[in-house]
Amino acid sequence: MDGVKENYWENKLSEFREASGKKGDRIGKWRKDVLEPWNSRTKYEDREYSNSSSIKIDEIYTSQDLRKNFEDKYLGLPGTYPFTRGIYPNMYRGKLWTMRMFSGFGTPEDTNKRLKYLIEHGESGLSIAFDMPTLYGYDCDNKRADGEVGRCGVNVSSLRDMEDILSGIDLGEVSTSMTINAPAAVLTAMYIAVAKKQGVPLDRISGTVQADILKEYIAQKEWIYPPEAHLRLIRDMMVYCTKNVPKWNYISISGYHIREAGSSAAQELAFTLADGFHYVDMGIDAGLDPAEFAPRLSFFFNSSINFFEEIAKLRAARRIWATVLREKYGVRNERSLYLRFHTQTSGYTLTWQQPLNNIVRTTIEAMAAVLGGTQSLHTNSYDEAWALPSEQAVKVALRTQQIIAEETGIPDTIDPLGGSYYLEWLTDRMEEEAFKYFSEIEKMGGILQAVKTGYIQKEIAATSYRRQIRIEQGKEVMVGVNKYAESNEKPINILRISRRAQKSQLSKLLSVKQERDEKKVMEALSELENALRNPEENSMPYIIRAVESYATLEEISNVGRNVFGGWKEPVLV
Amino acid sequence: MSGGMYLVDGKNLSLFKDKPIKVLLAKPGIDGHDRGVLVLAKAFRDAGMEVLYAGLLPTPEEVVDTAINEDVDVIALSLLNGAHLTVFRKISELLKKRGIDDIAVVGGGTIPDGDKPKLEKLGITGNYGPGTPLSTIVDHITARASEARSRKMQ
Amino acid sequence: MKIQDIINGILNGDRRSIARAISIVEDDEMVIESSEVIKGIYNHTGRAHVIGITGPPGIGKSTMIGRLARILSDGNKKVSVIAVDASSPFSGGSLLGNRIRMQESLTENGIFMRSLANRGMNGGLSRSTWDAVKILDAAGNDYIIIETVGAGQADLDIVDLADTVIVVLGPGLGDEIQAIKAGIMEIGDIFVVNKMDRDGSFLAMKDIQDSLAMTPQKEWKVPVIGLDSLKGKGYDELVSEIMKHGEFNGSRPNIRLDRFMKEVEMALQAEIRRQYLLEARELLKSKDAIARFSGEKIDPYSAAMKILRSGKAGL
Repeated sequence: MDGVKENYWENKLSEFREASGKKGDRIGKWRKDVLEPWNSRTKYEDREYSNSSSIKIDEIYTSQDLRKNFEDKYLGLPGTYPFTRGIYPNMYRGKLWTMRMFSGFGTPEDTNKRLKYLIEHGESGLSIAFDMPTLYGYDCDNKRADGEVGRCGVNVSSLRDMEDILSGIDLGEVSTSMTINAPAAVLTAMYIAVAKKQGVPLDRISGTVQADILKEYIAQKEWIYPPEAHLRLIRDMMVYCTKNVPKWNYISISGYHIREAGSSAAQELAFTLADGFHYVDMGIDAGLDPAEFAPRLSFFFNSSINFFEEIAKLRAARRIWATVLREKYGVRNERSLYLRFHTQTSGYTLTWQQPLNNIVRTTIEAMAAVLGGTQSLHTNSYDEAWALPSEQAVKVALRTQQIIAEETGIPDTIDPLGGSYYLEWLTDRMEEEAFKYFSEIEKMGGILQAVKTGYIQKEIAATSYRRQIRIEQGKEVMVGVNKYAESNEKPINILRISRRAQKSQLSKLLSVKQERDEKKVMEALSELENALRNPEENSMPYIIRAVESYATLEEISNVGRNVFGGWKEPVLV
Repeated sequence: MSGGMYLVDGKNLSLFKDKPIKVLLAKPGIDGHDRGVLVLAKAFRDAGMEVLYAGLLPTPEEVVDTAINEDVDVIALSLLNGAHLTVFRKISELLKKRGIDDIAVVGGGTIPDGDKPKLEKLGITGNYGPGTPLSTIVDHITARASEARSRKMQ
Repeated sequence: MKIQDIINGILNGDRRSIARAISIVEDDEMVIESSEVIKGIYNHTGRAHVIGITGPPGIGKSTMIGRLARILSDGNKKVSVIAVDASSPFSGGSLLGNRIRMQESLTENGIFMRSLANRGMNGGLSRSTWDAVKILDAAGNDYIIIETVGAGQADLDIVDLADTVIVVLGPGLGDEIQAIKAGIMEIGDIFVVNKMDRDGSFLAMKDIQDSLAMTPQKEWKVPVIGLDSLKGKGYDELVSEIMKHGEFNGSRPNIRLDRFMKEVEMALQAEIRRQYLLEARELLKSKDAIARFSGEKIDPYSAAMKILRSGKAGL
């Protein structure tokens, strides 16, 4: 490897200065001769136009706004470096994006039924959401779990639950995406344990766990231990899976939650990729070759309502990832430079007022994701500002994708907006903003330090507050909320989850604890504790053994809680 | 839009002599979505209040303990995970059990209309959803704080 | 709640009354009410062992105090914690995020924890902190832990208020530690190096021991203790040193008098402030009177002296 590390970010920033920033004589003359007289005749009152990233937008863009050699050096063609126009040569002509709808609720049995239904209807990409107790490493009988079991996803307290979720499903035939972070290693171990019981060889199972713990500290705030401890567990999982479960995608680096926490598009881009580079560094430190493991990292972005800004962000993400992996990390193999990503439309932009408007917002956001070249897409349901979506709302959301795919003609040609002066200029700006943050973060001692001191979280909170004030002042419009609002709005129908799931999970957990061999559990947990205390040891085999002994999620997490302690985030307000 | 009374910096909205309203902001459940609560913290500060933010994942017991020990006027609860009926009720019961009638409790988050009367019966008012103007929330808290203050002096 | 109810409540250990009383003494405008509360409880004070804990931010003080408080509360002892926040503004809105960080670990052990705005002059410990300690003392606490947050005069003033002062430092403070040490080597009865699991912690201990060796010898031999708050190592030694220091204090009768003098001084300050400053504020509202001073070309210092000497009659 022969990457360039010295002053890398600063040097990249200087590339943006090549663009003159001046509009040139032609536009100067047009402004003077045509625009200004028109403006004064029509009594146009000038105001500032800007997007979520506080990038100021001009009235017109031309080729003068682009960098030198733009087309050859920065734009390229689909399937070629730097992949601005897409990672595959034929993009959606070859294969449409995967319409992946996230599901999981109630008991493992409920989820199993739902997954089987999806398989019967031809889906092979399963996606499982977990409830809050599971996400935080608590069993269903923890007092904090009261009222939350099975509410925002399915509850998993022990291997028995994973067996029930996957019962009758051949793990050699499906690929499963699990939205799980802090306890990702434990859930991966459970999946592996089920595969072993089914007799499916580990090199045949495929799936994804989110396991992006950095964005938890930044945005979603679902952690168990201090950052270093979680990072070590992720490292163990990377190393173990690279060797033993080659089709397991162990990190889905997520900007989605960063955006939902109130960041701008540029912040989402910058912080997500900075997280990504940290995981690359971690893999290299653990002795892995980035050309080999980079393809196992995928991304997850948000698509929000400012149409061009979102498309620019997604194109910039692809370009930055490929460029930095090649230039800074010296990765040569082209396929290892692909930034593959899933997109979900914004939850932030959904309103509970006039909820049908949300269908329109989601449609526009989904179009931005497709025009940005996404590999898979989840469209939100219009009632999600309220609660978990109803079946009818989910169907409309899926149909939205099908209409874009099959009626609009948008996927007919690759990167149809490529070459738009505005979009290309904006893609450059998004990239430049990201590089500014990378440079800043490096000066602070890296992303981990920037997260532990609360710098990143405070940047996001400041953006979020600024936006809220702009909405309050009417400077930013939300239709139906601060403009065109209606009184006497009727509440919409929502799906309610009963406490049935909690009851049935509690009794199942009790029987698991009665039936298991207590001595085996204690042994497995104490071996796990020893492994966790030794930073050189790979903890994955011990976690798998603990899971197989039917030690519960919380018992396993508690071993870590004892060894690593908990984590209090820095003061943010 | 009512324009920016919450923006008046350092304005003293005092009712209890010259003390600013003291609010405890809490998300008493396993719910890490703190965008809203961080915005509210800043908005309450800009409205002149003293804001205590309980951080993530406090239990109902911890919220009530903190509220009593810190002698706050208002507990402002926010939950987006759908567990408001269970958790808000616990807090209201704990306060009742400990004989506290001079701390007002207000709620917010993703709360369906059907649940609002149930919460109000427990004395938990407001129950604002996403998109509510900050000024509406600030006004409501100010009004509830003034009730609580008047009971404190009895 | 009436003042008498509050006093009775404090003496019965009622948390609401304690909390309300602290709000009263925290309020600069409630000097009369404060004095009534303190008068009502004073005879019940003097029992608690007051432990001051100070040190730079970011070295795990909160975790350490949480653990220490829980250990001290074992065996039916009553423990309270006051976190003094020197950064609180004088008035207006504020975010007090850092004030309630320890609550969670304490609730289950029945430990009372309260944050306190510190509005003392020159950044020193204010009257409110002294009064809060009195309130908790009268409420029957065996141990009262005071944490001062942020370096400054408040950290030094803790010597006057606390029976035992613990200075907490950590490894890896680098050059900063030299600057911090310069201010606080004199005040510690016990030194603690927290985070013994980190690199550099033994060097930090050695560094402190060396510095102590260079400061003038006192009757009390200042121990330096290494703590690993995660694993709970070193706490037995810390608790035992705290106990020993408590006994050592018992042999020094003049601390009590020193402290009483300080209390009288602060009460005097509060009373003077109330009688003159608050009254003067009323007088200043009378614009006519001030205008007359201005008309007579009286300089502001002389005008102030006139108000001070004779109140309303001065106008």
